Amino acid sequence: MAQLRHDYSEFVSRHAQIIIIGPEDAAAFASYWQQHDLPFIGLPDPKASVLKLYGQEVNLFKLGRMPAQVIVDRAGIARFVHYGHSMSDIPANTEVFALLDEINTPTGA
Amino acid sequence: MPKVSLNAPAPDFTLTDFKGQPVHLSDFKGQANLLLVFNRGFV
Repeated sequence: MAQLRHDYSEFVSRHAQIIIIGPEDAAAFASYWQQHDLPFIGLPDPKASVLKLYGQEVNLFKLGRMPAQVIVDRAGIARFVHYGHSMSDIPANTEVFALLDEINTPTGA
Repeated sequence: MPKVSLNAPAPDFTLTDFKGQPVHLSDFKGQANLLLVFNRGFV
């Protein structure tokens, strides 16, 4: 989350909005957002409805949900899907930026 | 468990943000690229 915050302007310049979805309740989100001054959209999903819809994995042996990232382009198409296999299995921002640059490049340009 | 398919429409959803505002994935169509981050918890 800190890396996303650090590079937020890079996302904005690529016409990208960041949405964080997690199992905590609204109060936990509000507290975390205030504590870290986050500019992202925060969506509490305590019933895990969207987490399940998007197939976020639960690893019982590692006591929790694995991180996952999906890039959706302006047409609503999933252009990048990454399901983490460990807590630290998160794509680097540079990888995400390269994909966003590709998405933002008009076809045939 | 279902997973999202690459290069296919992302499943639409509606959730309420922590400020109480409803957010639909489809709200962003034609407006912005999105990075959806499925968090594992605030630690």
